[in-house]
Amino acid sequence: MAEAFPVKPKLRPTSSKLTPTPEAKYWRSFKIPKDIETTPSKSFTFPINSIAFSPVAPHDFVATHSASVSIFSGKTLEPKPTISSFSDTAAAVSFRCDGKLLAAGDLTGTVHVFDAKSRSHLRRLKGHAAAVRSVSYPRAADKLHLFSGGDDSVVKYWDVTTEKCVFNLLGHKDYVRCGDTSPISDEMFVSGSYDHRVRVWDVRVSNASSVMELNHEKPVESVLYLPSGGLIATAGGNFVKIWDVIGGGKLLYSMESHIKTVTALCMGKVARGSGEEAEENRILSVALDGYMKVFDYAKLKITHSMRFPEPLLSVGFSPDCSTRVIGTSKGNLYIGRRKAKVETEEVGGGLQWKIVEDDPGRKVLRPSYFRYFQRGQNLKPSEGDYLIKRRKKVKMAEFDKLLKKFRHREALVAALNRRNPESVVAVMEELVARKKLMKCVSNLDTEELGLLLAFLQKYSTMPRYAGLLTRLANKVVELRAEDIKSSDQLRIYVRNLKRDVEEEIRTQQSLLEIQGIISPMLRIAARR
Amino acid sequence: MLTGGKSFVSSPPAFSNDAKRLLVCTGNTVSVFSTSTGLQTCELEGHEAQVTSVIVVPATNPASKFLCYCWTASLDGKIMYWDFAAPELMKTIDIRFPIHSMVIPSLLHQRIDSTGKLPDLYAYICTEDAKQEGKPSSFGIQKCNLTKSRLVGGVTLAETQKPGHVTISPSGRYIGTCEKRKLRIWEIPAKDSEHVSYKKIRLHHTRSITTMAFHPNERVVAAGDVTGRILLWRGVGREAFSNTKSSNGRLNKDGEDRPGVRDGDDADSCTTWHWHSSQVNVLFFSSDGAYLYSGGREGVLVVWQLDTGKKKFLPRIGSPLLYFINSPDPTLSSISCADNQIQLLRMPSMEILRSISGIKLPSSHMDMYEGFGSVVVFNPTAGLIAVPAENYRVQFYSLFDDREISQVQICERNHQPGDEITVKVNLVALSRDGSTMCTVETRLPEEGIGGLVTLKFWACGSQKKQISLSTVIYEPHRDAEISCIAFRPTGNMAVSSSYGGDFKVWVRRHELTPKDETVQRSGWTCHAVGSYKKKPMSTAAFSSDGSVLAVAADKVITLWDPDRNTLLAVIGDSLEPITNLTFVGKSEYLVSASASASRGSKDSNPQLTVWSMSKLSATWSYRLDTKAITCSMGDSTFAVLACCKPKGSAEESLQCAEEMILLFNVEKAAPLSVWFVSKAQGGGLSFVSSDEDKVSATKAADEVLAYINGAREYVLLNPHCEQETKLNISRQRGFANLDETDTHGYASVYGALPEFSLKTDQTPFPSMSSGKTWKDIFSGPPHTLGPLRNLCSDFLESLLERRSGVVE
Repeated sequence: MAEAFPVKPKLRPTSSKLTPTPEAKYWRSFKIPKDIETTPSKSFTFPINSIAFSPVAPHDFVATHSASVSIFSGKTLEPKPTISSFSDTAAAVSFRCDGKLLAAGDLTGTVHVFDAKSRSHLRRLKGHAAAVRSVSYPRAADKLHLFSGGDDSVVKYWDVTTEKCVFNLLGHKDYVRCGDTSPISDEMFVSGSYDHRVRVWDVRVSNASSVMELNHEKPVESVLYLPSGGLIATAGGNFVKIWDVIGGGKLLYSMESHIKTVTALCMGKVARGSGEEAEENRILSVALDGYMKVFDYAKLKITHSMRFPEPLLSVGFSPDCSTRVIGTSKGNLYIGRRKAKVETEEVGGGLQWKIVEDDPGRKVLRPSYFRYFQRGQNLKPSEGDYLIKRRKKVKMAEFDKLLKKFRHREALVAALNRRNPESVVAVMEELVARKKLMKCVSNLDTEELGLLLAFLQKYSTMPRYAGLLTRLANKVVELRAEDIKSSDQLRIYVRNLKRDVEEEIRTQQSLLEIQGIISPMLRIAARR
Repeated sequence: MLTGGKSFVSSPPAFSNDAKRLLVCTGNTVSVFSTSTGLQTCELEGHEAQVTSVIVVPATNPASKFLCYCWTASLDGKIMYWDFAAPELMKTIDIRFPIHSMVIPSLLHQRIDSTGKLPDLYAYICTEDAKQEGKPSSFGIQKCNLTKSRLVGGVTLAETQKPGHVTISPSGRYIGTCEKRKLRIWEIPAKDSEHVSYKKIRLHHTRSITTMAFHPNERVVAAGDVTGRILLWRGVGREAFSNTKSSNGRLNKDGEDRPGVRDGDDADSCTTWHWHSSQVNVLFFSSDGAYLYSGGREGVLVVWQLDTGKKKFLPRIGSPLLYFINSPDPTLSSISCADNQIQLLRMPSMEILRSISGIKLPSSHMDMYEGFGSVVVFNPTAGLIAVPAENYRVQFYSLFDDREISQVQICERNHQPGDEITVKVNLVALSRDGSTMCTVETRLPEEGIGGLVTLKFWACGSQKKQISLSTVIYEPHRDAEISCIAFRPTGNMAVSSSYGGDFKVWVRRHELTPKDETVQRSGWTCHAVGSYKKKPMSTAAFSSDGSVLAVAADKVITLWDPDRNTLLAVIGDSLEPITNLTFVGKSEYLVSASASASRGSKDSNPQLTVWSMSKLSATWSYRLDTKAITCSMGDSTFAVLACCKPKGSAEESLQCAEEMILLFNVEKAAPLSVWFVSKAQGGGLSFVSSDEDKVSATKAADEVLAYINGAREYVLLNPHCEQETKLNISRQRGFANLDETDTHGYASVYGALPEFSLKTDQTPFPSMSSGKTWKDIFSGPPHTLGPLRNLCSDFLESLLERRSGVVE
């Protein structure tokens, strides 16, 4: 027994790019919010050297550019007043673990400590002989100390309250341009230098030489402790390397997909649904080639890459996975924010929920409620249940129903009214297969003919449909010449059609000319 | 020698008395199918020509319900009497004239006369007279005494130019036949003997009548004509067939209340129903006479309520209907369809229970268009053939088992049987390992608009049943028709050649799906395009190691490197365009066949040539019109299906072009063996390895030659020992046994009752099994149920638990 097939349009080639992975969707969902001003207004004209997020909610973030540090609200993304008490370009910035203090290094070699809220200048740590390009507060719990690295190739460990340098960590032979503190220990610090070396320091064990030395083989632009504390990512040249620190500094992987120098790294997270387990860590890297790449270091694979029109210098990702900020060398700040589905609950939220659940006022469903009739509809079948599927109702388009009844002209008109060119062409092809298209065309009344001519005018020069529609347009004009002459409206359609066809012919001719120019060249190229 | 691929629908089938078996005329044999499983249970072999009628001896009383006797008649002029349960031949009557149709009226109202012995049994047969010189053969309805095994002389009821189907009324009182625009009806006397006179009438119509049917208990005759009208005469033969009320009839004739009856026909009234749009093939009255079933080219079974003319439909059967018969079991009937399928219906609700399908027959429309050739494709390793059917499907048919394996819908389009075919699957190709299928479907343009050629690649699963669409390519060679598709034997490459002057090489590429990395997606992409002097490419072939691709460009053969797409050599210059190319096994020879492009031309120079690849020159050639070539996979033999017209003018007048299969070895020009065949037009030929397990190591010894003719009948030959006519293939004909255990009545709904040990009831009840469950009695609309009186007893009977024996 034969089943009924609906009329389907021709298949179109699909490329894998058209179906984004869930991960790509996630990274694309960081969009410039509409309620704040657009990116050009975030332009500071000077390169944005560094971006840092506050570790506590609402995760304010700062960006350094020329001699000032801009603070942005993590909630509204509005800029707060800037700190501009620098005498030279600010180069590095870091929040304390409680988010209350902010440290920034500048090119004079001074590290400034500010109150993040009041922006009052608290401390000046002087000691570096050259520009400070790296400042890091310990990430775990220590609120009193600070690491900094400078172009004098020295890494300093500061006691902030007394403005004194506790240790000078020596060992690098060139500019120290980057550093990161360990996420699990307050005493561990990693620094990267232009002497191609990455050094891991532990202020407990030794204060003079490094615990470990890694060779990145290119000037190191950025280092990053991964959240486990056992892995380090280093960026320099056009590659990013992942090292196993616990395993004795073994190189795990070298990611070489950037074209130009990688300038900054930061941790990103992919939040799938809710809950901690659903989050997966990624390394975000930005480079001078304008690409931001997302690297999954568990699978050692690039999962997403995104292009920006300018060389990128710095990147930041908020710990609550809602905001992604990228700074460029031309001073543009690309702020991307993901639309949060559920607003993060307040601290007391859990308590309130509990009260709601314990509410005894839940009533028994009675037939007087509408919900009574919906009860059990969302019930999921349990393991042993035998499922009886309801037969799916076959939805048929109107033209399908009419075609089934052999009402061909009406089917064509119904398809034309739906304004979906693919289905119109599919119906026409089906009519051709039934040898009824010409009859349909000759039976159309003036209004319906207008509909058909408007369709032909719009689509007959589209390459995908041209094969059928140009010939059909010819036939229609031939068959219905009398009717077209007698109606002004139809004459307008035909005039438009003529214009479109002439334009298409011109395009084709110029394309032919181009082909004529190219083909001898191709011949020559193929011969070599 | 093994034959198969028979038509199930050449003649109407017949149900056995218990409705558990269906007897189907299949070529020279009668096949018995089980109605509960749809599988063949046994075969009656004995006739030497096509069996045209099968009549089951009906049960006269309930006790004889299990008797399995039948009469068969065949074109070889024999009438045979069988016990089909055994199966066993019991009697043969040779009347020496081809029998086209047979009815035995006396079976239906057989009465033991007063003397206590059975009267003679008479059959009415439509026979063909012996052909006389220069005269077309004539056909007549004759009478045959089956008891005495002889033809009754001098009784010829009708003579016609065409063989007619004799129709019998369910009561056995009337027989009739339709002849052009009239119906002829005879009354069979209740006591039939050799010399009786027959009362006969004629009913006239203005169009050619195609089929007729008798009402079971009234004098109502229905007839269908070529335009789709159904005529219903009531009160037929009131004058001629009734002896007593002649005066009444006269009154009627004089009066004017005989609407619709044509020029003095003997009927009270004639009504016309018109629903069918084309020829009516099936007419059948239901057993209670309340309904009339009709069907035709549209593939819709229509049920007419006789009194009101209201209709009910069973649509989408998918093929023109040919016969409808009902079984002794009122819940079961069958429809024979033109696509070689028999559908079993559950009756009042008209659901299709199951279908018995044979090999798809070629459509009569298929050879209407040039390039629409529908060739059967062989899968040599699995012993399968792929047959394109009319309803955009490809049927896979097992040669060794002689049954359908599966069907694949190639083009998702609704098929209206009887319509002009404008979309057709016209090329099918299978890769050698059977993992890939390639199909080409063509949509014909309407006034030059909207023609479309679509090339589709399919991936076949391991089970041969899961076939999924892999790649669709629209207009692969612009709007030119594809002439041939060939797969590379070593895999993952195919070539399609077109009449538009180019060929394309397709390769399979794998890619990972973005979502799930474990699932591989494979698609076919174009690897290379080649053409030679813009000549139409008619056929292509790969060498057995896949290193050389031979493409026939009009009259020459071009040899290509398929990987790098470079022209290696051009050989040959035949007189006619080349139609067929094959590399012979693993040898260095290539066989080409060329035929005249226009079939009608007188001075055609068909040629069969064997080329040596090492010398790039012809080795030997024949002037032979070749239809198909196949080569053995193992050794260097090949077989051709050829048609050779005799030279002599005297023989030509007989118009018997000899069609034959020739087996050659490439080394020698003399054929190894020759078989003569018939109906070779549209036929196919292939070597098939007989042992499915030895796919990898196909030795020449297990290869058999399969030949299928234009009517889709096939034969398997052993090419190596011609003396031995029997093929030593053990045919695994899985004759299913008939045993089925059905629970009836109460037990079918609630399960078996627990056994009670009642001591009181000791008397055994003689119980008679009724085939009906109470569900069946009440299924269907209330007006189909029948009188309450009958129903009540049936219902009660079905509710009672049937006992198989005495409860201890």
